[in-house]
Amino acid sequence: MPADVIGEAWHALGLLLEPTRLLVLVLGVIIGLGIGILPGLSGVVGLALLIPFTYHLDPPTAFALLLGMAAVITSSDFITAVLFGVPGHVGAAATVIDGHAMARKGEAGRAFGAGFAASLAGGLVGAVVLGVSVPVLRPLLLGIGSPELLAFTIFGLSMVATLSGRAPLKGLAAAALGLMLAMVGSRAQGGTLRWTFETLYLWDGVPLVPVVLGLFALPELAELAVTRQRIAGEHVANITLSSQWQGVGDVAKHWWLVLRCSLLGTALGAIPGVGSAVIDWIAYGYAQRSERNAETFGSGDVRGVIAPESSNNAKEGGHLVPTIAFGVPAGASMAVLLGAFLMHGLQPGPDMLTKHLDLTYTIVWSLTLAHVIGASICLLGSRWLAQISRIRAEILLPIVLAFVFVAAFQGSHDWGDLYTLLLFGVVGWFMKDFGWPRPPLVLGLVIGSLFERYLFISTELYGLGWVLRPVVLVILAIVAWCLYRPLSKLAFDVIAQLRTVGVRRFRLTPPAAFSLTIIALILVAIISALDWPTPTKLVPLTACVIALVTTTLNLVYEVLGPEPVAPERSQRAAPRVIAYFAWLVLLLALIALIGFIPAIGVFIFSYMRWGFRESWVGSLGYAAATSLVCWLVFDLALHAAWPRSWLGDLLPNLSAGSGLI
Amino acid sequence: METMAVAGRLAGRGAVLIALLVLASGTRASAQASADFYKGRNLELYVGYSVGGGYDLYARVLARHIAKHIPGNPTVIPKNMEGAGSLRLANWLARAAPRDGTVFATFGRGVPFYPLLGLPGAQFKATDFGWIGSASNEVSMCVSWGTSKITKIEEAETTQMVVGGTGPSDDTVQFPRVLNGVLGTKFKVISSYPGGNDIVLAMERGEVEGRCGWSWSTITATRPDWVSGKKIHLLIQLALHKHPDLPDVPLVTDLAKTPEQKNIIKLMFARQVVGRPYAAPPGIPSERLALLRRAFMDTMADPEFLADAKKLELEISPVSGPEVEQLLREVYATPADVAQKLSALLK
Repeated sequence: MPADVIGEAWHALGLLLEPTRLLVLVLGVIIGLGIGILPGLSGVVGLALLIPFTYHLDPPTAFALLLGMAAVITSSDFITAVLFGVPGHVGAAATVIDGHAMARKGEAGRAFGAGFAASLAGGLVGAVVLGVSVPVLRPLLLGIGSPELLAFTIFGLSMVATLSGRAPLKGLAAAALGLMLAMVGSRAQGGTLRWTFETLYLWDGVPLVPVVLGLFALPELAELAVTRQRIAGEHVANITLSSQWQGVGDVAKHWWLVLRCSLLGTALGAIPGVGSAVIDWIAYGYAQRSERNAETFGSGDVRGVIAPESSNNAKEGGHLVPTIAFGVPAGASMAVLLGAFLMHGLQPGPDMLTKHLDLTYTIVWSLTLAHVIGASICLLGSRWLAQISRIRAEILLPIVLAFVFVAAFQGSHDWGDLYTLLLFGVVGWFMKDFGWPRPPLVLGLVIGSLFERYLFISTELYGLGWVLRPVVLVILAIVAWCLYRPLSKLAFDVIAQLRTVGVRRFRLTPPAAFSLTIIALILVAIISALDWPTPTKLVPLTACVIALVTTTLNLVYEVLGPEPVAPERSQRAAPRVIAYFAWLVLLLALIALIGFIPAIGVFIFSYMRWGFRESWVGSLGYAAATSLVCWLVFDLALHAAWPRSWLGDLLPNLSAGSGLI
Repeated sequence: METMAVAGRLAGRGAVLIALLVLASGTRASAQASADFYKGRNLELYVGYSVGGGYDLYARVLARHIAKHIPGNPTVIPKNMEGAGSLRLANWLARAAPRDGTVFATFGRGVPFYPLLGLPGAQFKATDFGWIGSASNEVSMCVSWGTSKITKIEEAETTQMVVGGTGPSDDTVQFPRVLNGVLGTKFKVISSYPGGNDIVLAMERGEVEGRCGWSWSTITATRPDWVSGKKIHLLIQLALHKHPDLPDVPLVTDLAKTPEQKNIIKLMFARQVVGRPYAAPPGIPSERLALLRRAFMDTMADPEFLADAKKLELEISPVSGPEVEQLLREVYATPADVAQKLSALLK
């Protein structure tokens, strides 16, 4: 690295260590941690909130505040993932699998320790990679064209093979279904509206936040509604300082995994469109593929926390690469940050790497310090936070559910978000119950549209020649290496599965009925897509055919294969699950009737009082407190545009006066 | 009888006079009422896109400054109601928004023309909105990269040129298509790039030769050295009027050969005038619309607002509400066959 660059880097550190700036950075970190904990708040929202406060700050101080906030969101977002199985941010969905399993085993403290330490390590790696590569950023990025981006998306999709676990057919089917969902909307070439069913809501595609919350959070909470145990179960939660240090020690022991996942996260973060929603899954799948003794993944393996958390925190450093070098935002939060750059007179591009090099390094240092400060705060506070897992389910459940609904509504501020949440909650419950892996679906949904986009650009520009570009060949070779074992195992498993198929009396079991429903939906999708112009229907129909074949094979296996061992579950399970979803429908009805914030209060109160027989005072208190927090955060600070309600239409003056109903 | 009639006529005149007086005082009273109306109230500014985009940036800067130009100084709150490329917001504004002057909105510049072009999904009449104004009168460019064979727009009529585009309803795709259909250029549009800057990056690395539909103010703000260092060729200006900086770059309307071509081009590029449009719901009280229109134009001349806009490199070239309304009326009077021809080119 040239001497003047190092000089600028030191100068930048000096700028940042000035006491007021450091204080502002700490403030940013605290706000960021808060945003990460609350489901539904993302970095985009945080930036939009904070930017107005930076008008009168000088650029280094402003970036200390903004990046301090943005950097640590992925450090604290897994707290709720571990405790309740509700990711605080889409990027923590993969952490739910092993993190929540650890909490159920009474190892919440260890999961926290490991998560925070992995976050810190990942964040540092991301910042270091960004810092070291600053001088060569532009030539590096100019070498990466659409075909290379296409190859990266193929790499991402190839992780489906490992993420499918022991259910290869279902995993492939879920990925293909995710791919089909990704095709929904108006972005197709030629402007064909694909699978929008005459609703404007689906024009922009299926929104990610309600889908992820529906698939992962609602089924997890349904489990809680069935067992009605404290999350930590009967284990007296073991949240001593030593248990946290055990987690930190785990990270040190698996340093090689941490480093690999961090580098992967940085690289993927630099690709526009590949956000934290899939980076965590890709890292999780990669860890599962590359680690020894991977069969404990999914049942509370600490490596299942370390891999997604380190990669997701490294991502921010990667995100900044195209943003700084070319003004190409790698994600929604970077688009907002670009606005802040401009406001402070910084034009992303060559100037950031020459004239404003000191500021660029302020950004790198802000990221670094924010991660250190954030991890320290979390480590110190997590002992207290983990106590939440000892709260009784009867109190926790209604409150967390209310937050999940508000969070989903932040997706696009539309009723459609709530329907999507509930629909995918039901689908997620069935998938969980019938052993369908859910991560491939998310992977297909997020990467599907990127894949189609770069496939289209690459073939339009280069025909099939895009495959022969050197970088593409290298990436595809890695994909082949990653796929070889899982694919051969998959083929073997499928054949093994199907060989167990024997003639048995046909019986329509619930899992088979689920598969049949999906097959019917795929057929409807195929029929409605037949009239589309060829380039528009190419990828969707391919996805449909893959989904159809795999689901049908799976159905054959389910109907004719060996009878699955029924999971142990008490007699009360089915009525409790139905009651749980009925309460959710009631919440929707309440929102339509009396408006969002009042509905939250009434819902929490009635669920606690009549659903769980809690005391009047307790129910009222929790209901009032939660509504107040939602009102303060989402109405007063964020000015969410709430849906219209029946009561609001009846009493327009009250509606206009309060803005709530 | 005679006197009675005279008296009657006088009384009649008196009644008219009284009626006039009452009316006059009434207007004064309602102007007063409008001033009082906004006092202590919230004025909500809806943005049809999510946080962080260009329309959102403009709206948030406007929201910070417009209150002081409205009598009663309401609290102006920007809210995002994203969806369907802001079509959802335009529909909501026409059908469901409160019509008392407490709400106004900004949406995509192409949206007001959806009904005219027969595009699906629109549930409003563009001329019914209470147009408050447009913050910028855009001039977009077609440019080619310095190494491209195409250096003038005429050359694009004989040689194919690959331009990058974003989504099917975006300027970067629609503009070159219309030029191909009307002027006979041979742009090959590669759509699907995620955003405008991605196209520019693709141009820089040689993946595409140019971009058609790039705001001149953005070029000067973000790549001034490309213009001065002749790294790009400026092929054509896409607007109804030339930009004062660019007297020598041909304007699209000047290249039309027949009146019909001229009409199609005018219909297509009228959206440039409403570059950053602001509108109130249909049927808000006229004196409140007048207040908002005046406040909008006053803000556009407010030095503090302009300083903020300059920081964010937002071009401010305001068009007043009545001018926007007039333009839309003219455009909507376009013969149906012209609209159909344009609509066919866009598909």
